[in-house]
Amino acid sequence: MVECLTNKKVLTKGNYAIANAAVIAGCQCYFGYPITPQSEIGEFMSGKMQELKRGYVSAESELAAINMTIGAVSTGVKAMTSSSSCAVALMQEGLSYATTDELPVVLVSVMRGGPGLGNIYPSQGDYFQATKGGGNGDYKLIVLAPSTVQECVDLTYKAFYLAQKYRNPTVLLADGLLGQMMEPVEFYDYPYPEIDNSGWALTGAKGRDGRIIRSYGPLADDRCVFLEKLYEKYRKIEENETEWEEINTGDADIILTSFGSTSRNVKTAMKISREKGIKAGFFRPVTLYPFPNKRLKELSKTVKKIVTVEVNMGQMVNDVKLAVNGACPVELIHKGVGAPPSAKEIVKKVEELI
Amino acid sequence: MATQVFKLPESLKGDVKYSFCPGCDHGVAVRLIAEVLDELGIRENTILAASIGCSVTIYDYINVDSLEAPHGRAMAEATGIKRARPDKIVFTYQGDGDFASIGLAESMHAALRGENLTAICINNTTYGMTGGQLGPTTLLGQVTTTSPTGRNVDYYGYPIKIAEHIALCDGTAFSARVSLDTVANIKKAKQAIKKAFEVQIHGLGLGFVEILSTCPTNWKMSPDKAHERVRNEMMPVFKPGIYKDKTN
Amino acid sequence: MEKNFIIAGFGGQGVLLAGEVLANAFMLAGKNVTWYPSYGAEMRGGTVNCEVVMSDEDVSEVNKSDADFIIALNQASFDRFLSKIKKGGLMIANSTLVKEIKTRTDINYLFAPITKLAEELGNVKMANILALGILAKAGKIVSLDALNQALDNVIPPHRKNLLPLNLKALKIGYEYDLLPAKI
Repeated sequence: MVECLTNKKVLTKGNYAIANAAVIAGCQCYFGYPITPQSEIGEFMSGKMQELKRGYVSAESELAAINMTIGAVSTGVKAMTSSSSCAVALMQEGLSYATTDELPVVLVSVMRGGPGLGNIYPSQGDYFQATKGGGNGDYKLIVLAPSTVQECVDLTYKAFYLAQKYRNPTVLLADGLLGQMMEPVEFYDYPYPEIDNSGWALTGAKGRDGRIIRSYGPLADDRCVFLEKLYEKYRKIEENETEWEEINTGDADIILTSFGSTSRNVKTAMKISREKGIKAGFFRPVTLYPFPNKRLKELSKTVKKIVTVEVNMGQMVNDVKLAVNGACPVELIHKGVGAPPSAKEIVKKVEELI
Repeated sequence: MATQVFKLPESLKGDVKYSFCPGCDHGVAVRLIAEVLDELGIRENTILAASIGCSVTIYDYINVDSLEAPHGRAMAEATGIKRARPDKIVFTYQGDGDFASIGLAESMHAALRGENLTAICINNTTYGMTGGQLGPTTLLGQVTTTSPTGRNVDYYGYPIKIAEHIALCDGTAFSARVSLDTVANIKKAKQAIKKAFEVQIHGLGLGFVEILSTCPTNWKMSPDKAHERVRNEMMPVFKPGIYKDKTN
Repeated sequence: MEKNFIIAGFGGQGVLLAGEVLANAFMLAGKNVTWYPSYGAEMRGGTVNCEVVMSDEDVSEVNKSDADFIIALNQASFDRFLSKIKKGGLMIANSTLVKEIKTRTDINYLFAPITKLAEELGNVKMANILALGILAKAGKIVSLDALNQALDNVIPPHRKNLLPLNLKALKIGYEYDLLPAKI
């Protein structure tokens, strides 16, 4: 059993916060391949997992890493892998398999600039990759987006819990800014109940017939039934697990919405706008899937405009538009890659949009 | 009183219909594995990482816990299973395309790491399930649906000698190539499969067996002719034998 | 109140560590704080820098466009970050390696021979910590006590033998008696 490092706050990088939280959450195996800006996760795990006599493999590729993770979680233990953008691209096949295998894979995706090799600077360019997926077929990944290093801890715990609870791959979608920055954080014991997986895990067929975890569904009709069942599960996830943060939305004329690290500056921009007499509100989806469609739809009826702020060419804005379905105009403030636009820059654009 | 001299291995599911083509050696290989699981008494402690191709259907016949891996990723998934549950016996059952083409990196690195796993690879010199295309083990001169005038070096390069390559990896405990063309060779094959499990049980590293196998359907041959081809064309290139045995 | 610090120098001068010590000191003082480094390709060759933002409330932004305090340990950092200091802000420059030229007239300068002082202490690698001592005295924003405790937090157990020397460097910096010359 791992004890928390301390009950007091410690100053730590987002990447280390994620790794340490995973260890506390009971992650039994880590598999990974280095890539900036998340290599600290694998570095931390290489020492810690060996010290605790848990599983660690420096995988030969991200392809191997995601499949090793699938192998480990199929036996009922908690396991994770971590990577970034162009290398998460290599994991898409595995993620698709893990949804149809209904396996609780946890993937930490620390976004960097793209497309292709891109660069190592912070980015939110993989919103689509995480929420829409690059794998084949109909599936959803649960996606959690932390905005502070403390949330890197909180949502890592939650990622393991939701993955287990729904037997669905879950992504912690951070970015280079969160991965590399340090903030004071508090670690605490894993706050969620342990899920009983004895009914499906591969543990050796002792006293019973063998179980098969497979994605192959050769008969068309059977596959239809399976997909309906899978989407019934997704409806439950949407009902129960949608999470967001909102401030000053009650009387707002304009709502600024944003996810992840960018939302820090957006929150400040909302405050500055208020000081300038603009009735601005702040809305941050914490779960990117399930997306807070309902709440945005409600808000769209009382505000004049919703503005999304993203460090990409405009990705979440599409989901916001789908959610409000034309009830109010939706605008985009964006920057292609790098640290988020400053609060001042955001305010200036908000003034232009008003 | 009658003496029972032949029975279904307990590790096989008795009530299933096999989907392998008539004369294909997969059925023999699957049975040998089941017999070995019985003899070692490990059925209830074994987990299979299945693959893609004709080999995948093994999980319908063998009564163990099974995880179906994406194409080429069986050795990675087996690695994950073993690292999570080191007390379990973990094996893969793959075709040559799965093990040595799309999954070569996973296979080699599992061997290099010395994973305590058992890998059984069926080499039939073609991609069977998709209709007999050129694979990594297709022989020079062999006609397939994607080498219509035969495999030539200029266009296709050379076939891979899997057992020899795996033997070269320091983490490999046992590597052998066997065939199923005669009763005597089937007996040898079973010994090799057993050894490949035993090295895992003793924690010595990877146990690997490459099984030369027939594909009468895609070779367009009768089962007898197919076994003749194994003897006359495959064996001179893919020589049966034990290429590594750390227990010696 | 929110204050922003940039510590910059060339690779090996320990600017990231100095920033981590400073951020720890703020944390120990009960403040909110963020530390953000330049990383990756930026670190090869040129300057390395990190940003520390201390705030009584939530830190408003990470990777800010300006700073209240800048420590420049080499010429390249001085040149690169001079324009980033807020009006009335303080530039602490390592005069062993930085020319004392004051092109901006709306900021305060403190030139101190930081590398030389570290050499006199017997270890040039102490320049980063020594600079923090100077910042503590001149900035009046972080106490020497908090920095002492922060050093103990940051230096890993297997390096604890280096703690006394670091504490000494901090003290030398703090006692370096040169008031910022206002222009």
